[in-house]
Amino acid sequence: MDDITRRGSIGLAAGMAAVSTLATAPARAAIPTVDVKPPSLPLERGATLRVLRPVKYIDPDGVYFDLNTQKFAKAIGVPVRVDYVGFEDLRPQTAVAARTGAGPDIVLGWSDDPHLYTDSILDMTDIAEYLGKKYGGWQTLAALYGRKHNTDQWIAIPFGGSAGPAVYRKSWVNEAGFDTIPSDHGKFLDLCRNLKKNGHPPGFALGNAVGDANAYCGWLLWSHNGYMIDEDGKVSINRPETIAALKYAKELYQTFIPGVLSWQDPSNNKAFINEDISLTQNGCSIYFALKNNPRTASIAEDVYHAPMPTGLARSRPETATVINAMVFKHTKYPNAAKEYIRFMMEAEQYDPWLTATTGYWAHSLKAYSESAVWKSDPKLIAYRDGCAMEFYSGYKGPINAASGAVLADYVNVQMFAAVSSDQATPEEAVAEAERRAKRIYKQ
Amino acid sequence: MTDTVILPDDTMADHTTADDVTDHESTGILSSESRMRRIVTVYVPLACFLVVLLFPFYWMGITTFKPDSELLDYRNNNPFWITSPTLQNIRKLLFETDYPRWLWTTMTVAFGATALSLFSSVLAAYAIERLRFRGSGYVGLGIYMAYLVPPSILFIPLATIVFQLGLFDTSWALILTYPTFLIPFCTWLLIGYFKSIPYELEECALIDGASRLQILRRITLPLAVPGLISAGIFAFTLSWNEFIYALAFISSSENKTVPVAILTELVQGDVYQWGALMAGSLLGSLPVAIFYSFFVEYYVSSLTGAVKE
Repeated sequence: MDDITRRGSIGLAAGMAAVSTLATAPARAAIPTVDVKPPSLPLERGATLRVLRPVKYIDPDGVYFDLNTQKFAKAIGVPVRVDYVGFEDLRPQTAVAARTGAGPDIVLGWSDDPHLYTDSILDMTDIAEYLGKKYGGWQTLAALYGRKHNTDQWIAIPFGGSAGPAVYRKSWVNEAGFDTIPSDHGKFLDLCRNLKKNGHPPGFALGNAVGDANAYCGWLLWSHNGYMIDEDGKVSINRPETIAALKYAKELYQTFIPGVLSWQDPSNNKAFINEDISLTQNGCSIYFALKNNPRTASIAEDVYHAPMPTGLARSRPETATVINAMVFKHTKYPNAAKEYIRFMMEAEQYDPWLTATTGYWAHSLKAYSESAVWKSDPKLIAYRDGCAMEFYSGYKGPINAASGAVLADYVNVQMFAAVSSDQATPEEAVAEAERRAKRIYKQ
Repeated sequence: MTDTVILPDDTMADHTTADDVTDHESTGILSSESRMRRIVTVYVPLACFLVVLLFPFYWMGITTFKPDSELLDYRNNNPFWITSPTLQNIRKLLFETDYPRWLWTTMTVAFGATALSLFSSVLAAYAIERLRFRGSGYVGLGIYMAYLVPPSILFIPLATIVFQLGLFDTSWALILTYPTFLIPFCTWLLIGYFKSIPYELEECALIDGASRLQILRRITLPLAVPGLISAGIFAFTLSWNEFIYALAFISSSENKTVPVAILTELVQGDVYQWGALMAGSLLGSLPVAIFYSFFVEYYVSSLTGAVKE
């Protein structure tokens, strides 16, 4: 019955890879690998797959993903259909697939999505261990999101993460008396004050912005050694570290351009491109939007990226939004689905895709640190370690439905926004955040 | 008995003139006051309403024709006006995306769901209002209660049914699920309208030997046209704008409806292609606006009262 074997398919894939080079394939580097035997996954006869993933960040993201999928279909003989869905709309569709037991076989969901559906998805430990051994191990954040909390069981395969470091105008930062973004809180505040004094204020989102506001407020909390949940899953936001972070945030807010309280994810892009702000926290979309437009290409030359200040944290207090591939139990072709994910993560496919996405996605497997993309433009280095960070939504507790709900309800963001806008004292805001988090965690 | 006093011409003329002046003055003051009152109580609020209601369309319109350079740079450009209009956004929408197909799908779904809902609602409303079977009041109430269940709760159980029927990712998934919220709404609207049609008309027809279906077809429905149009417009608009079912039951890009598809295709992470998005919204709202403009009189008459007894 299972007469197409994985081993045979690999041979076929290698042949295909040799003859079918992508016409516009980006330059590739040698990715260091270890010779590891892949898990044996005999393919089911007549297998077909449906994959659901977030919409492309930039065109090459979708183009190379589709090309790799076509390669898989030709090499392995399993037709695959990939459907793209908006960032905000991925979760309802994932919920439908998980709850109805029908729909796509594979979903590339967001960071913590697989942790909400552990009963509905397949164990991925075999694939994860194979890939980890072959490609130098998994990055810290990838492993946190891929594994069930505090176990060695993998429930998803992280494809990559999108980081959000500081994006700044170098000339204006220099004019404000700094070479780059300083790593301590005091100097960072001085920088922001000087930027404002010079007429080039910074701007960080404080509205209910999924990416940017969560990134900024996460940085504020973590860089002061604060955290929402402790290791045992107990709500621990009401601590002196959080109060210190809130007081600092209020000082910082005085230097911002007006209006950040209502900012959504595209708002800082627009303000930065329009030269209204000098400093923000974002993915590399601002840089490429400027670079790819002849009218604004000159501004792009002045745009640089750097990690946000470390402050009191022991490592970079940022996180990344990870795309995490899970295979649903309702699939009729579990081996084909796992094989597809393995195929897509192999260097022949993954590296061209990673390189083409020009830093929008950071790699989840350590070996891809050698990818040509990270040498193609020195300005992208700040994005390289997106999946290597140790902070995540719900840090330091388990990743589960409650940590996702705290994030979705903007508990942390609204706490910082309330203090920044003088609607609450730090003590009042943290008490309210604690109340909301405890209600979600049922404590 | 009154004496008629004839006054000399010039005296009369003087008297008349004085009265006229006083009348004109008072009329002038009154009319000026009345005009002022009218401006303050009618035109100013009306203007405010119009600005609030039409500004989004205006904004949609000017953003559609704005080049990116004007869209992003408010310091050097008036945000409320266009200096260099462009068709680039419409071209992108129509020729670089599947927009025509999304529009066609949306239209098919909206017409299909509206027709199905109207047909079912007419039968339901007539039965509840006119047949007055035992428990008809509770049935009406039950239908109304069904309308109160939010789609965000229903979409997962409905998805199970859609999958089991093999309708996932087809227009039928939407045509058959939209009536779950359209039928209760239309039924209630039509119950109200049927109530306003004199029952005596039907009694006359009954005496003349007409069957219930004949009465419905030849007496009630022709009189209920404004109500049907009103329910149809509501159903069409709700179907046209529906989001959550269209998002959950359709996964192929080419089978999506306009509200879902433009978000998927024209929002990439934190980069919103505002020009094309607004072009999509503007073109997407035109069919509904045209639909309304054709039937607005029926629509108003159905809301303000039906057949007079």
